[in-house]
Amino acid sequence: MTGGITLDLKIPLERFSLEVKWETEESSLGIFGHSGAGKTTILEALAGLRPQARGLIRVSGETWLDSSKGIDLPPEKRGAGYVPQDTLLFPHRDVLGNLLSGAHRSNGPWRRRLSFEKVLEVLELRSLKEARVDELSGGERQRVALGRALCSGPSLLLLDEPLAGMDLPLRRRILPYLIRVREEFSVPTLFVSHDASEMRLLCREVMVLEMGKELAHGRTEEVFFDASLHPVFREEVFENVLQGAVQEIKESGFLVELERDVCVLIPRGAFGGAAKVVFGLRAEDILLSLAPPVGLSAQNVLPGIIRQIRQAGQAEEQDVPVLVEVAFGRGDQRMVASITSQARSRLKLAEGSEVHLVFKAQSCRILTTR
Amino acid sequence: MTALLISLKVSLVATLVVLPPGIALGLLFARRNFPGKSIVETLTYLSLVLPPTAVGYLLLSLLARRGPLGVNALGLDLDLLFTWKGAVLASAVMALPLVVRTARIAFEGVNPRLESMGRTLGMGPMRVLWEITLPLARRGLLASGILGFSRALGEFGATVIVAGNIPGKTQTLALAIFNDIQIGRDDEARRLVGLTAVLAFVAIWISERLLSQRRKRA
Repeated sequence: MTGGITLDLKIPLERFSLEVKWETEESSLGIFGHSGAGKTTILEALAGLRPQARGLIRVSGETWLDSSKGIDLPPEKRGAGYVPQDTLLFPHRDVLGNLLSGAHRSNGPWRRRLSFEKVLEVLELRSLKEARVDELSGGERQRVALGRALCSGPSLLLLDEPLAGMDLPLRRRILPYLIRVREEFSVPTLFVSHDASEMRLLCREVMVLEMGKELAHGRTEEVFFDASLHPVFREEVFENVLQGAVQEIKESGFLVELERDVCVLIPRGAFGGAAKVVFGLRAEDILLSLAPPVGLSAQNVLPGIIRQIRQAGQAEEQDVPVLVEVAFGRGDQRMVASITSQARSRLKLAEGSEVHLVFKAQSCRILTTR
Repeated sequence: MTALLISLKVSLVATLVVLPPGIALGLLFARRNFPGKSIVETLTYLSLVLPPTAVGYLLLSLLARRGPLGVNALGLDLDLLFTWKGAVLASAVMALPLVVRTARIAFEGVNPRLESMGRTLGMGPMRVLWEITLPLARRGLLASGILGFSRALGEFGATVIVAGNIPGKTQTLALAIFNDIQIGRDDEARRLVGLTAVLAFVAIWISERLLSQRRKRA
């Protein structure tokens, strides 16, 4: 299934011309950008729905588009599993009919059966099989659309903002399905979103897109650390995404073990109990302290070492955010705190400094539970 | 009663004849842009505004012995003039614009992105047509068939010129009513008018229901 993805696309659009290059062996990919940046256009070009697209598309060793050689496979020959934002379920078919719409493509009856049963199980669609499409809730529609794409035996899954337009409780319910799909089916996935936290949870490599041009691409963590300093994204807050096992359910919240002996307290919210949680923590909600603080209301204090410091603009400039990446625990966990440049010079923070990360339990928000 | 049977036969066959090209043209106009499209469309809709007798005369000239579709040109006799098949042709030509327009609206109500979605799932264009487009447009297409049938049922002007008014052979309800009034058989005429009214009412009612349900679902 591996073999990577090679993209070299040029698509003329009304407002701008979209140009991206991407070559990767990684199988969980994301495109991040504001709405109107051209994310959906790239997915449609991959699916074969943009006849104006020129350049090169190669997926797992198969060439889908190569303008220089006159190759441009029609959508039905490409093997893309497209899940559009509006799901586009077929209203004249029930859920089962929708799921099987592309099943004739997946090679061989044996494999089809195997993956079909697995799709029903992983996405918990068994009870919905006979339901009519217009009876489904928003989250169910997403699951059916995802299942339909998976049942077609795709060599690349294209997910367009699968969580957009959903409220937080619904996102928390759909997110685990996306994580499970990534874990259970070894299908390369390209995920498009304008939510940085979701991207960090689902993608190993990302491209940041703005007005049809690539701003950055690379490993997810590094890209977001850099990209959040870019003028286009400076307004957006960097959110750390952390996960761990629930060690203890307390009156005040979950005690979550990030790694052995490293625990943080987060609010339970509406969740009664959970085994694992994924939560977000905004960089600006973290305080840095040189000495272990005493007499503090904040309940979470983690010692760590500064790995990287990034500053937008010139070092002398005041009022520009400084992002500080701190390693904690045994050293492979990272958290990013946002401070002002005055604070940085006052505390004389430098790479290698020992600091304490301080944050309130209430600053953490649960993204999903499992 | 023979008039009723002839009418039903002619209208049904005319509907079956007109539906395939009508649906194909409706699909073409709804989904494709090509140079000269508006000219082709206008030509298609022409018989909607032309007097039916004019259309009948054009057909007659085409099919006449020395016309472009006559025996002399084709080398075989289509045997359409003054037969019930001629009445079918005349009704079909008169029904075509209605069928095309309604089919076009039916196809325009189908989200083209659903068709694209079918393509990405591995369906070729023909398969998309059979599995996505036609099933989604089916109500509108059924309505277009019923409208075409109703139009064929009421057809008079073109039919009388192409097929004549031969009792028991080409005399449809519309022609029989005309005949009865001409020779003063008012009772018979009234009976036939009542019969056509019932037929037309049922047809229009069904097509209206089909169209309104489609709108509600869309």
